[in-house]
Amino acid sequence: MEKPVVVYEPYRAGLPPMREYMRSLWSRRTFISEFSRSELREQNYGSVFGQLWLILNPLLLSAVYFLLIYVIGGSSDSIRFGHLTASLFLFYLIANSLTGGVKAITSGQRLIMNTSFPRVMLPISATVIALFKFIPTVIVFGIIHAVIGLPYSWQMLWAFPILLIALVMALGMAILISCINVYFRDISSMLPYLTRSLLYLSPILYEATNVSDRIKTLEIANPIFFLLDSWSRVVVHAQAPSMNGLIHASVWALFLFVTGTYFFLSRERDFAVRL
Amino acid sequence: MISLSDFKHEHSPHSVAVSVKDLGLTYTTSIDKKPTLKARIKTLGRGKKHTRIVRALSDVSIDVHYGTVLGIIGSNGAGKSSLMRVISGIVPPTQGRVEVYGSVSTLLALGVGFNPSMTGRDNVYLGGLAAGMSRDEIDANFDAIADFSELGEAIDAPMRTYSSGMYARLAFSVAAVVEPDILIIDEALSTGDAKFKEKSLNRIKELRTADRALILVSHALATIEDICNEVVWLNQGKLMMRGNPTEVIAAYREFVNARKSASSDEDV
Repeated sequence: MEKPVVVYEPYRAGLPPMREYMRSLWSRRTFISEFSRSELREQNYGSVFGQLWLILNPLLLSAVYFLLIYVIGGSSDSIRFGHLTASLFLFYLIANSLTGGVKAITSGQRLIMNTSFPRVMLPISATVIALFKFIPTVIVFGIIHAVIGLPYSWQMLWAFPILLIALVMALGMAILISCINVYFRDISSMLPYLTRSLLYLSPILYEATNVSDRIKTLEIANPIFFLLDSWSRVVVHAQAPSMNGLIHASVWALFLFVTGTYFFLSRERDFAVRL
Repeated sequence: MISLSDFKHEHSPHSVAVSVKDLGLTYTTSIDKKPTLKARIKTLGRGKKHTRIVRALSDVSIDVHYGTVLGIIGSNGAGKSSLMRVISGIVPPTQGRVEVYGSVSTLLALGVGFNPSMTGRDNVYLGGLAAGMSRDEIDANFDAIADFSELGEAIDAPMRTYSSGMYARLAFSVAAVVEPDILIIDEALSTGDAKFKEKSLNRIKELRTADRALILVSHALATIEDICNEVVWLNQGKLMMRGNPTEVIAAYREFVNARKSASSDEDV
């Protein structure tokens, strides 16, 4: 008797066989890059103006917010502008990952109903797209950094681990929210308010040092507060980040990634009948 | 998780391709068209149910051997598509066991495609990559797929501009060109014009080889009788009869006519 290639059996709650799942996911890694590319192309980023827009959009955004701060605060300086731009760009990496992730599963309905594949590829692609959109903004920030004469130091290398933490967090959020949206479709309409609140609750339009200690204690509940603070300290002020801030961000990132992935993987076999 | 490139499977003719044992499937689906948090909160504490349980299949056992063309017939809601989804690994069974001995290509009712605003070409690549094919494999097959579908330049147009016939043609081409060990076609022959129908039937006939198993779901009884060498009849999730196409189809016709005298419309 030959050995079966695949066996499908009833499952109980919990994770699918992980080794096989990871192997299957790895063998389809080209899907993730191809999907992200087609999605970007579809959003017109394939054209010259589209790519230009990728850079113009974050620039215009930071200009608008700078104007806002100037009008409200009455004054502004180059550090403030640098802080606003850098924080806004990293914030949009996370926000884009969330907005892309929320509909990753529900809009992939056709594919899910017809093909068997690790569903987690879809929210992963959403984060990859957010990363693709983030890369040009890094270059823009590099130029701004030089033009407005912000300081440089070796401490800026901390940007890499911080970015890694941000990516893990963005991925965890995308996976979690894509799964929640299958069960509660109105999450996608609530998301804009959620990201908007995150924007105002995080040190983007202001610096973390301007916030009182009492508020800072409350901000422990905000996953990205200390992440954005560390990012600004490193890339704007060229200082080392606070260790507490890094630990806070890492714990949140890992928590979101682990719960999101667990929740997703234990539920994904149910998606085909829920869509 | 099954795919085309995960494995290259060696099998002898007439060995088992798919073995389905005591298969049972119950769906838990939401009653609301779109489940929302709002609806949940509104009915909180009222004990209102949000899901219902649908018994799609019970105690179905089928062996499909290589070299067989198995036709699956039954009225709407008989569990045909559910059975195909379980064999393809899209929906896990609630009872029993399904063993698959080879690579599977599925062409289910919804057809190919992922995102209607992407081009036909993008959709073919994305669908193929998701199914586990490599880029090279798709590259190698792409021209054949495009030729077979007769879409011409439309292959580079967004799929939302396609007619339903064009959609179906592309879907069929993808499933039929890749030459899998096991090919599952679910009611996908009923769209497309007469010329393409004939072309796809001929293609299915070409695919009938000793080292391949075909599973065909259709309401077109004459076609099933023509190309299948075994037929399974499902009714309300249960296996009613299996065996010789002529006999099973005759029994099925009698059953349908007994329930209502209207004859089933024949459409390939």
